[in-house]
Order: sequence, then structure tokens, then C-alpha cells
Amino acid sequence: MSHEIFVIDDDAAMRDSLDFLLKSAGYEVRLFESAQIFLDNLPKYDVGFILTDIRMPGIDGIELLRRLNAVSDGRRSCVVVMTGHGDIPLAVEAMKLGAIDFLEKPFDDERLIAALKSALEHGSSKSDPLTADIAGRIESLSQRERQVMEGLVAGLSNKLIAREYDISPRTVEVYRANVMTKMKAGNISELVRFAIRGGMIRD
Amino acid sequence: MSESIRTCDLLKDCAPELLERAGIGTWALDLSRQNLSLSRTARDLLGFGPEISASYDLFLSRADDRDLSRLVAAVNHSFESGKPLDIQYRLRGGKPVRRVRIVGSVVNDKSNAAANLAGILLDIEKENQNEERERHLALILDTIPDAMIVIDQHGIMQFFSNAAERQFGYSASEAIGENVSILMPEPDRSRHDDYIARYLTTGERRIIGIGRVVTGRRKDGTTFPMHLTVGAMRSADDLYFTGFVRDLTEQQQTQARLQELQSELVHISRLSAMGEMASALAHELNQPLSAISNYMSGSHRLLAKSSDPNASQVRLALERASDQAIRAGQIIRRLRSFVARDETEKRVESLSKLIEEAGALGLTGAREQNVKIRFDLDPLHDAVFADRVQIQQVLVNLFRNALEAMATSSTRELITSNKPVDDNMIEIIVSDTGQGFDPDVLPNLFQPFFTTKESGMGVGLSISRTIIEAHGGRLWAENNSSGGATFHLTLPAATEKDAAHVA
Repeated sequence: MSHEIFVIDDDAAMRDSLDFLLKSAGYEVRLFESAQIFLDNLPKYDVGFILTDIRMPGIDGIELLRRLNAVSDGRRSCVVVMTGHGDIPLAVEAMKLGAIDFLEKPFDDERLIAALKSALEHGSSKSDPLTADIAGRIESLSQRERQVMEGLVAGLSNKLIAREYDISPRTVEVYRANVMTKMKAGNISELVRFAIRGGMIRD
Repeated sequence: MSESIRTCDLLKDCAPELLERAGIGTWALDLSRQNLSLSRTARDLLGFGPEISASYDLFLSRADDRDLSRLVAAVNHSFESGKPLDIQYRLRGGKPVRRVRIVGSVVNDKSNAAANLAGILLDIEKENQNEERERHLALILDTIPDAMIVIDQHGIMQFFSNAAERQFGYSASEAIGENVSILMPEPDRSRHDDYIARYLTTGERRIIGIGRVVTGRRKDGTTFPMHLTVGAMRSADDLYFTGFVRDLTEQQQTQARLQELQSELVHISRLSAMGEMASALAHELNQPLSAISNYMSGSHRLLAKSSDPNASQVRLALERASDQAIRAGQIIRRLRSFVARDETEKRVESLSKLIEEAGALGLTGAREQNVKIRFDLDPLHDAVFADRVQIQQVLVNLFRNALEAMATSSTRELITSNKPVDDNMIEIIVSDTGQGFDPDVLPNLFQPFFTTKESGMGVGLSISRTIIEAHGGRLWAENNSSGGATFHLTLPAATEKDAAHVA
């Protein structure tokens, strides 16, 4: 697998700045202003790693993942999606479609490089030591905590989770705090990432 | 005593003449039915001239066929049983039909002791007509939804209509004879007599012929808003006042409900407009902020290899600048979650009610614009699980857009319908006969800050889509065959489980 990073984003400044950042970290970069152009050129490249925006006019990040899944070459590539403000449901959908991680804009470069490294070294993040560790954390949850976590990851509010399991919203808050502590998650995005890497969310 | 005898004789002598003068005919018929005597007035009533000799057959020939056998039977019955005769019957051929009443009893002839039947004959047409007209008027009065109350100049109720009974809870028999002030709360209750007195002395009209909204008091002591108009009428020497009362309770409730809905909507749409703007801003600002952060991080990395003495300081500065860019992103994110109402109040709601209420709010002025509005709603798919205010906001928005779009159309028709679709969802379809959308507009319709209107922020449809998606549904638009636009939205159908939560 090549160390070339395929960046797809409709925003010119985002493309240019990612080009600059990734090159500074030693990667080769190819830029595409739309998923359509990328797909049109797909046969020409040995695509290993794709970093794509999720909300784009025309073919968006989700549709791109679907199309990649439909071609045999695309299936081998690793995709990291960039989302806007805490767009959990979209991120989860992307992960279900095979994206290995998601980054919320604006993101810390360390997070980006870490995601790249892990992807490039292991082909998929699903086999790295952290994944095993996360699976252990999920194991440690009680049944109720697990249910609450599933609700949170599905983007439900406390109130909706309370309704779903017929418990009070106050109780959900307590379970929610327990979940965050046990999963060592700093925020909901991180929890979602752990849930996906730990295999909690399946296709 | 002598006087009494005198008047008694007078009566004996003059009785037939007095009857004649009063328009009442007299007659006598013998048992053989051969001889019939008729007084002058009786002849007039039956239409016989003085030259015609009366006979029982002739008398019967004047009766209408429909009543003839009844009349003969009654006469025979009286002869046989000796009981009095009293029957009304119609005269033949009159237009309008005339009715007479014949009253008689068996009297014995002094000469041969044979029984005769004798009595009076009178025209009852006039009497019946008055009764009929009165009954007719009463029926008309009963159909008027407004209550009607007539009082005399002392405020005593003389007439109390059926509607008045319904509105005030008193029966007519309870109310008539009472002072009308029992129908009003204080302070009018104790002042009403003075109001009448003032009118009678000054003639100054405060309510008569004007009409005002006042408060009524029911028998059970509860009060209600009512519109009162009063008319004064003079009958002979007496003055009467007629009051017409319309109960405004329902009207005021409807108005209050509409106002409440409207203010809720305004509040929510203001909030969601802010939320949508914050959200759109967050999206727009995140891009440059991300780019800034990326440039900084890249520079920071490159400088790691530099031998410049200032490199470490510059790197530190770049790192901090990058942190600030990320912080800015977080502030926007927080602003959005602060403004956005992420907890929706979803309940089982009746779609038809949601749509009708939204119509009341969003379609005001539609009739003046000659817009035909049709709600084609399937009652079998009426229950949805939704936040009422939010969905109404969406519908009001769609309705108003449609009205605006049809302002210059020749045909103006707005149709709203519903149907069940897959995944236990209900689809609502809003179609207008406006201008539709250009092909290049359609894909951008739901983007924030996109608008085809001269004034408008372009967040309405964007908010609407956000709301519908938060309900797990979809909102999309297309052009329809009549050249207008059709909006489709889906909402989850309410399940039994939802209903249980509501209960």
C-alpha cells in the first residue's frame, strides 16, 4: 500500500492546507475538489488512503463510501471522513459503510497523523492494540450502561433513551456518566469512535 | 233585583241578534233531516243567498269532500246519543280553504216533543291563521342561534327563547316574570333598573341599536362573554325591549387558541432561525478555521527541523495559534448546541388537527387571494409521533411559501394530502399551482441562506428539513404536472407503544 494520501474536499483552502500539513509530515498528497473527479480517476491510482469531507455538493462522503464498496479496488482502501460540528449520525453511517475513523473539523493535527499512521501500518485500525483495549472497556459495562451507550452512539438524547428503556432521564444521566468514565471517553464523538472500533456498531 | 230581571229579559230577547252581530250564525235541524233553518249570518258563512231555501242536503253539499263523512257521522252521533256536537270542517272550493266550526246540542221541540239539533256556526279561519302564524314565528325564533329576550319597561322578562334557555340555563317558565338582571353579574345586576330608568327619562341610547360585548351570568353562577344588541318597541302604551344575545365563548376560545399557537410558533421559529444560522455559520467558519489550524500545524512540523535560533519560539507561537483556531471552532459548536433545541417534545398527534391548525395560521388571507384550499386527509393514517409546534412551523412555512408562489398564478389551488409509506411512516404532500422551481434551484432549495425571494433570509426550508430529519423523516420538493411545486415530507406513524407513553 502506497503512502500517498488522497484528499477530497470541495473547499480550496481546506485542500491546500491539508496538502501543506500532510506534506510537512512526510506524506505524498493528491487533491480532488469533488468525489466525482476522484472516482473518474480511480482506475489510474493504487489508492490506499482517502481523507474525504462528508458534506459536499454532488456526491457526498457517504455516497462515495457506497461507490467505493461497489468496486473491488475501492474495498481495499482506508477512508477517514471529516465531518462538521458533531454530526454523529452521519459519522456513524460513514463508519458502518467502512470508514475507519472520523475527524471533527477543525481537528488537531496529532489526531490526523495518528489516524493515518494507524491506518497505514495496520491496514485497518480494527486490529491494533487500542482496539483490543476498547473491546475490554465495553465488556466492563453493565447491561444498562451498554444500552445507554448504544443510545448515545445512535445520537439519541437523554430523554429519548429514557423513553426507550422506560427509565427516568435522571437515571440516564447517571448511567451516561458511568459510561463516559468506563470508556475513558472525553466527549460523545470519542465515545462513538470507541464504539465503532470496539465493534459495538455493526453494519 | 229589578235591574237584574231587566237585563235578563234583555238577554233573552236580544241573544240571537247579539250573536249575529258578533259574526256567529245560528241554526236548527230536525230529526228527519228534512228541515234546516239558518240565520242570516249562518247563510253568509255558508255562502247561501236569502232567496235559496236551506236544506240539510244543501248544507252538506257545502262541506269539503274530505270532511263530509266525518261531519255526517258527528251529526248522526249527536242525534243518537243526545251528546253535544262540536266539529270543525272545511268548506268546499274556497281559496284559501276556509274552515268553520259547528257547535250544537239536542233540544226538544215543544209542539211534538221530537228532538231537534240546534246551535251555532262560526268562522274559525281567522283564529287558525293567527295561531298558525304564531307557531311559525316561534319555529323561526327557535332556529336563530342568538338568544332572544323581551322585557317590559320595568325590566321584567316577557319572552325567553329556546336559545336563551340553552345559553343561560333557565327555563322560559323560570325566567318569565323575573327581572332580567338575574342574567347579569355585578355591577350590572344591581344597576340595570337604573339603566332602564335613565333611558326612559333621557332617551339617551347606550346600548339600544348599538350592540356591545358584555358579560352574561348563567343560572349556575358562571359567566360568559356575550354580544348584546337591544331594540326598543312601543306596543299600545307599553314600552318593550328586545335583547339579542350571542354567546362569544367559543369564538373567544378559538381566538385565544390561535394567538397561543402563533406566539409559540414565532418563538420557536425565532429560536430555530438562530439555531440554523449558528449551525450554518459553524459549518462555514469551520472550513477556514480548519485551514488555519492545518497551516499552523504544518508550519509547526516544518520548523522542527530548523536550526534557526528563534525556531522554538515561533513553533510555540504557532502551536498556540493553532489551539486558538480549534478553540474558536469549539465556541461555535457550543453556541449551536446552546441555541438548538435538541430535546423535542414528541407526542402522538393527530395529523388532521396539526394541518388544520397550521392552515389557520399559515393560510390567513388565502380566501381574499382566491386560493382554493383542499385538505384531502386519510383519517386511517392520522396519528403521527411528532413535536406539534415544530411540525406546524414546517407546515406554516410550506403554506406561506405556496401562497406567495401562487400570487401571480391564474389557477390558485393548494392541496394537502397524506398517505402511508414504507417503514411505518406517513407522507404528507403539499401541492400548489404556483410557478414551480427552475431546475438549477431545486438542488439548492434546502441550503441555508439560499433564497429566491427578494426579502427573506433563506433559512425557512433549511430549518424545515432539519426539523423533519430530527423526526426521522425526509423533506423534499419537486415540480408537479400543474406547473407548481409539490413538497413531500414523511413523519413516523404513531405506534401503540407511543400511545401508551402518552396515556
